[in-house]
Amino acid sequence: MTQLALVIDLNVCVGCHACVTSCKEWNTSGSAGPLFDQRPYDANPTGTFFNRVQTFEMGKYPNSETLHFPKSCLHCEDPPCVPVCPTGASYKRKEDGIVLVDYDKCIGCKYCSWACPYGAREFDEKQKVMKKCTLCVDRIYDQSLAEIDRKPACVKACPTSARLFGDIHDPESEVSLAIREDGGYALMPEWGTHPANHYLPRRKTKLKIHKDELERADNPLKVDGQLPKPSKGDSSMDDVSAW
Amino acid sequence: MALGWPSDPDDLFVNADGSPVRIDKAFSWEYPLSVHGLMHNVITNAWRGDPYKIDTLLLFMANMAWNSSMNTSEVRKMLVDKEEDGEYKIPFIVVCDAFHSETTAFADLILPDTTYLERHDVMSMLDRPISEFDGPVDSVRIPVVPPTGECKPFQEVLIELGTRLKLPAFVNSEGQRKYRDYPDFIVNWETAPGSGIGFLSGWRGKGGEKSIRGEPNPNQWEMYAKNNCVYHHALPRSYQFMRNWNKGYLEWSQRSGITRYAEPILIHLYSEVLQKFRLAAQGKSISRQPPAHLAKRVETYFDPLPFYYEPLESQTSDKHKYPLSALTQRPMAMYHSWDSQNAWLRQIHAYNYLYVNARTAKNAGIADGDWIWVESQWGKVRCMARYSESLEPGTVWTWNAVGKAAGAWNLAPDANESQQGFLLNHVISEELPPQADGKRFSNSDPVTGQAAWYDVRVRIYKADENEPEQASPQFEPMKKYPGMSERPNWLTYLGGSKRNGGAR
Repeated sequence: MTQLALVIDLNVCVGCHACVTSCKEWNTSGSAGPLFDQRPYDANPTGTFFNRVQTFEMGKYPNSETLHFPKSCLHCEDPPCVPVCPTGASYKRKEDGIVLVDYDKCIGCKYCSWACPYGAREFDEKQKVMKKCTLCVDRIYDQSLAEIDRKPACVKACPTSARLFGDIHDPESEVSLAIREDGGYALMPEWGTHPANHYLPRRKTKLKIHKDELERADNPLKVDGQLPKPSKGDSSMDDVSAW
Repeated sequence: MALGWPSDPDDLFVNADGSPVRIDKAFSWEYPLSVHGLMHNVITNAWRGDPYKIDTLLLFMANMAWNSSMNTSEVRKMLVDKEEDGEYKIPFIVVCDAFHSETTAFADLILPDTTYLERHDVMSMLDRPISEFDGPVDSVRIPVVPPTGECKPFQEVLIELGTRLKLPAFVNSEGQRKYRDYPDFIVNWETAPGSGIGFLSGWRGKGGEKSIRGEPNPNQWEMYAKNNCVYHHALPRSYQFMRNWNKGYLEWSQRSGITRYAEPILIHLYSEVLQKFRLAAQGKSISRQPPAHLAKRVETYFDPLPFYYEPLESQTSDKHKYPLSALTQRPMAMYHSWDSQNAWLRQIHAYNYLYVNARTAKNAGIADGDWIWVESQWGKVRCMARYSESLEPGTVWTWNAVGKAAGAWNLAPDANESQQGFLLNHVISEELPPQADGKRFSNSDPVTGQAAWYDVRVRIYKADENEPEQASPQFEPMKKYPGMSERPNWLTYLGGSKRNGGAR
């Protein structure tokens, strides 16, 4: 059974927000839209985004780092938002594991956002319905798009290729390989939600320099150059070779 | 050559007495290799009348009464300052802008510009093309929507002005108009008559059969349009690597008019160009020589070998009083966004903090989120502090150009950008303190004229509890111009359909 998901490489994300704005651009005009903005040009603007990047620091100076953490619906394999929905608006698709909201059935009770331990749901204050990431379901199957474009907008937009997309149940897929080989992990596994989206951890790149590499051991000035110079009359291969 | 790359004192743009010709003093003995110009000094120079007074100041693609200027508060005063006879020191100011920017408030005449969807543009081979690793790439923009109202692409204004002023590039020998409009200019202008080098490298030659170099092609725009607005000149694989000494590439590039020489391109640790200026300053050259009062400066900074010196502004700062260096950077989410009042982007960064190492802040009695003053020898701003552990203790920084003036950009006068957001520019000077003779140099690199945005020294201290929790300085809120739209309470963008297109 297919389970589509994103794998996000935290070692590569630079926090540019290109995924945030491209997500909103696609989805506000797509089947999950519109995504409203409230007080767009006044104090304290707010609005619906399916994808947000939270930036925070870890550690103490000088042993500190800055982490950019993109957050969106994780399309859990056992999504707590689905059983709490009183109308069946929140559902998980059998064919690809995408968790969606049927706006026509949603009554805006917000049970799902209380149930979601990841804060991934976005209540639309204008339409009074719950919205969230759809993995660009209206894009990834669109036969009118070139195959290379049948990916979520955020994946296409990422300038550092920090976002991978695919079927985590296919052991040979790019995303399964990344999870398996590069230490992919799920967020808060203790909740038993089995998030489909995974993150790849920060990896420290260490430069190993051995002491003898700091100085060229084969510096000719220090090896052959130290030997006594032959006199011009001494024989050499030059005399006999046809170089 | 199309762009100025002076390599010798004789290339400078100076009068017979060695004084600058340009209002910004670029390519003069004060900033000889200033290929980017010194935009940050134009207003101050014009206001002071040094090197001369001007009657008209034409501003475009820069927000010079706000985040594009150093010393913003003072520059805003200069824009409205008057002579003793009551005439403005800068009598006529024309601002071309697509938005209700801070600078438009200072304009005698506003020319409403187009946005990039409404006009032709080129990402030219002559100015930062978008090339790929495997070869040169340039591109164009072709309008997808008509201009709003009476908006006009500023390029058209410049070409019209150049033509009416009969500048040599825009008229023929009889003084008649050479270019109909901007698209015509882009197709037909060449770096020199018959050079075959123009703004765009694709589909040159009469029928579009040549590339990189070739005669103007009257159908060049159409050919770009047919090819997704991009021309990509893929090089043979053997030309793609080590290009600075790849013989095949260098000879191709010389024959194509990209480089003048086919010799290997090496980094000059010893710079002959710098040494030529130093010799001139020492009176040892046959070239033009600097005026006496600048000889020492040129001799000092035009060292042909790299050397270290403390930044010029730091040298003139009291480092006990102002112990911290202050920097800015542009947020990634807004990096190429001129219009950061954009409804989505301002939800990402609606205001900015001054980031301070937590230890530095605590030592100054500042808690995370406190309102503080940042003060340099030039001025002070009030803003909020944010603790950071990713910052060395002697430096503070903030996002650039997030803070806005109240009411600007058609944001509400109480929008976060003006009430919590702030500009560090108010504490950065465009000039260094006066010399012994009272003259002032630009706060710039003495070789390249590069603005010294990062050299300012500051101190920080907690704002008084009785002070308002509001960014300072504040300016009288900008008013709407006639015809400007009301701010909607809700906004929805829907693309892809004419019925729903644009903002609702």
